Amino acid sequence: MVTLTINGKLVRAREGEMLLDAIRREGIEIPATCQHEAVEPYGACRLCTVEITKADWGGWKNHVTSCLYPVQEGLIVSTHSEDVIRIRKTILDLFLARCPNAELIQNMAAEYGITRTSYEEVPDGNDCILCGLCTRVCDKMGFQAISTVGRGHGKEVAPPLGEAPPDCVGCLACAQICPTNYIKFTDDGTTRTIWGREFELVKCETTGQPTITKEFAAYLVKHRNIPEDYFTRCDSAHREELAKTMGRITHWGRQEEA
Amino acid sequence: MCITSSRQLKQVRKEFLDGDARFEKKVMICCGTGCLANGAQEIVDEFDSILRKKRIKGFTIEAVRSTGCHGFCEQGPLVIIEPRGTFYTKVKVKDVADIIEKSIRSDEVIDKHLYTDPATKQKIERYPDVAFFSHQQRIALRNLGKIAPHNIKDYIANGGYQSLAKVLTTMTPDDVITEVSKSGLRGRGGGGFSAGRKWRSCADVESDTHYVICNGDEGDPGAFMDRSIMEGDPHSVLEGLAIAAYAVGAKEGFVYVRDEYPLAVVHMQKAIEDCRKEGLLGENIFETNFCFDVHIARGAGAFVCGESSALMKSVAGEVGEPRAKYVRSVVKGLHDQPTVLNNVETFANIPIIFEKGADWYAGIGTKKSTGTKVFSLVGKVRNTGLIEVPMGITLRQIIFDIGGGIIDDRPFKAVQTGGPSGGCLPESKLDLPVDFDSLTENGSMMGSGGMIVMDDRTCMVDVAKYFTDFLVKESCGKCVPCREGLYQLHKLLVKISEGRGEESDIDRMEQLSEVIVNASLCGLGQSGPNPLLSTLKYFRDEYTAHIRDKRCPAGVCRELITYNITDECTGCMACISACAYHAITGQKKKVHVIDQEKCTKCGACVAACRFNTIDVR
Amino acid sequence: MNYRFVVKPELCIGCRTCELACSFAHSVNGKPGRSRIYPLGTGHKELWVPVVCLQCEDPACARSCLVDAITRNPETGAMDLDAERCVRCMACVAACPFGCSLHDANHQMVVKCDLCGGDPVCAHFCPTKALVLEPIVQQKKKKSA
Repeated sequence: MVTLTINGKLVRAREGEMLLDAIRREGIEIPATCQHEAVEPYGACRLCTVEITKADWGGWKNHVTSCLYPVQEGLIVSTHSEDVIRIRKTILDLFLARCPNAELIQNMAAEYGITRTSYEEVPDGNDCILCGLCTRVCDKMGFQAISTVGRGHGKEVAPPLGEAPPDCVGCLACAQICPTNYIKFTDDGTTRTIWGREFELVKCETTGQPTITKEFAAYLVKHRNIPEDYFTRCDSAHREELAKTMGRITHWGRQEEA
Repeated sequence: MCITSSRQLKQVRKEFLDGDARFEKKVMICCGTGCLANGAQEIVDEFDSILRKKRIKGFTIEAVRSTGCHGFCEQGPLVIIEPRGTFYTKVKVKDVADIIEKSIRSDEVIDKHLYTDPATKQKIERYPDVAFFSHQQRIALRNLGKIAPHNIKDYIANGGYQSLAKVLTTMTPDDVITEVSKSGLRGRGGGGFSAGRKWRSCADVESDTHYVICNGDEGDPGAFMDRSIMEGDPHSVLEGLAIAAYAVGAKEGFVYVRDEYPLAVVHMQKAIEDCRKEGLLGENIFETNFCFDVHIARGAGAFVCGESSALMKSVAGEVGEPRAKYVRSVVKGLHDQPTVLNNVETFANIPIIFEKGADWYAGIGTKKSTGTKVFSLVGKVRNTGLIEVPMGITLRQIIFDIGGGIIDDRPFKAVQTGGPSGGCLPESKLDLPVDFDSLTENGSMMGSGGMIVMDDRTCMVDVAKYFTDFLVKESCGKCVPCREGLYQLHKLLVKISEGRGEESDIDRMEQLSEVIVNASLCGLGQSGPNPLLSTLKYFRDEYTAHIRDKRCPAGVCRELITYNITDECTGCMACISACAYHAITGQKKKVHVIDQEKCTKCGACVAACRFNTIDVR
Repeated sequence: MNYRFVVKPELCIGCRTCELACSFAHSVNGKPGRSRIYPLGTGHKELWVPVVCLQCEDPACARSCLVDAITRNPETGAMDLDAERCVRCMACVAACPFGCSLHDANHQMVVKCDLCGGDPVCAHFCPTKALVLEPIVQQKKKKSA
């Protein structure tokens, strides 16, 4: 365990833990858009920047992104210093110029007193904040179906060559994790479409309820050693089946007793 | 054959030099990229075809060497005839027969191919006497222009691989690091971090696997130092890399070359293959326990991949995005293993440090920036090219003594150092000693050694706009301050250059810059506002002229200038036919007039006018 | 872990109190969550089974989770689903052969029984003690010769 000071309060934290976790545990709210428990910290949005110093640094201060900065003994952290707030405001202001309609950004900016960007709005702006959560979760899950393409201001998230991604299984993790709901998909209960690719859904043999895509089920069978027949029914049919089996056993027990 | 000892190296050297002794003369043809573009290969071929037909005593095609870059690209293709050092510039294929006849068969010097000193108008015969070369001290470039880069024996004949032999057979890894530390060598890639300290930190990390990587992803516009070394002397880089590998305990190394450098890839690859054949790479090198192999990793041309963590991701086959370096790459680098990354020039300096000693090296340059530095001197300077000078030399010496001053004797305005993230230094800083610390203190940086000289016709707002635009495009786009911040900074610069600037814009740019510097993830963003900040620091009046007076003092920003024909116009009508937009009217021998409505400010009339009567302001 | 959660269908009367208790115990922002327990009819007269996660030894839910959001809680023995980590791909919902990973559509999250941190609320409310937390009687290990 290490001891550090956050906004004047002495706090204990686990060695190797990131500063952001320690800060949030203290109930202090700081914004972060590219952080998610499912993936490694990334440090792209810089909103979780905090000011750090140490008693023996001779007054020297540094700004670090708390999502990636491991806690250290004796660290003195300030989460809302004047400099930090200026950084956060500027970043939110810049974000708003690119994604004026993204609700997440609007709300965060409003908390810092910004309702409209003071910069020139980006002409081809959209709701994608390039937090990289979608590509990172896709990598983490082992599909690597989408990635960021290009660089600089023209960077975007896309499947390889802009074509229907061959490695996608249609799990929707990218769309679910997207903090601005920019990644669109359709699902009519029979087919699901995402990234320009169509997937057929597995249907429950008993109820006809759709579950996951055939490709995703096949992946889990092959790589995660899940028996194929687990996927032939939906969750409610599985429960019914379990109830019936247990009921049968209990019934026999009663008959024997009687 | 496998070379296993220093003695065998000497044997190879002797055989090679004995072979060379057959020739009374040798011809060095610069086959650096600049000269190749100007037809150097055709000149080599012409020598070959003539010498096939003609027999000359004490001279065969083997005495004609395609060498690496001499640095004086401005004057290429260059042909040097040794042993005298006769220096022919701008040689053409049709001149070859003449050169063979006069300068090789006999000892005649052909005047018309000699270099003319722009100051004295004197013809200079030998290259060491040319001011461009005479003020230089070539250490990293020691072999460039002297050896054939694709011939390992030529390198060995010049003392190559003796340092590696010495290191492996007589020194411990610890000794090696101590020696590098003692030399004071600082990384030539831009950061200027002590190479010895970097190696020490990496060697101290306990791990089964360590890596060494040579950064050849030179992306600064106008810079070609590393390119020339990789193309012209690849073995010195490999030798330096092998020494580093021994020092930190690496068994595998990479040379990261950007794909825009095809010749560098070919020459590096050839050098690696030759080393494997000769046993200088592979298992048990020089019969020691040291095993080391090198692979080439080709970059796809992203500027940001020169950044260490992005480069390592790229080598590993991932998207080249930097990561936060709260844990440094000497601890957790390529594949999360401890990794030493230095650039090409740094590695090229290593062998000679072990050949001549750390004290010798530390004696060159200044106390805190030892040794020499290679610069690519470009822009509005007479002699452009690649130069190597001791640290601590002044900007004035570089620009006026080596560079020969400003073209057309126009006034010097600024010099941009350190590549896109560097800064512009004004005339008042001309006597600044060039070293890592003084450049940084003055708002610029050493960077990898780009040096762009600007005259009075350069607009500093335009310069800041250009470099900021470059960085907007080359930002990896991962972090917001760099991706969005630089974009907005560029927008504000465009606004000012188009005459739409407001007084408050300067403050806004400064405030935004501060956030970009403080909050960006990697060095690209953190130094991204430098072009703006340094021009604001030294040329603020030029910004106010654009904003307040809607005027571009240098006559560059299109929206703020007009073209007018002065009364000195002779009425020659040259400009009228040059103007594609029919904006100029006038009669013979009468002053012409430009229709401002039609004028697109393309500058074609200025180029056409022989009497300098078109006024741009 | 010193206790285990035991389901006794022979005592269940199908009153569905457990379901209600679970739903309220797992409220999200004041709104009841989806119950993790399902008392279902069996087709036999007056025989119900409260279907709830069996906290399997090698559970398909955890195996199918590609972001490692389902892990064994060493204190309670339950397979806990970390909602912060879950990316709602529905792999566990589809993979569980007992249908005990559930999609809570109202709250846009995947849920499963977490034994309420070691003290299942349903057991407290079950009027017939069909759901009980039983102490585990440590069996002495036979010493091998």
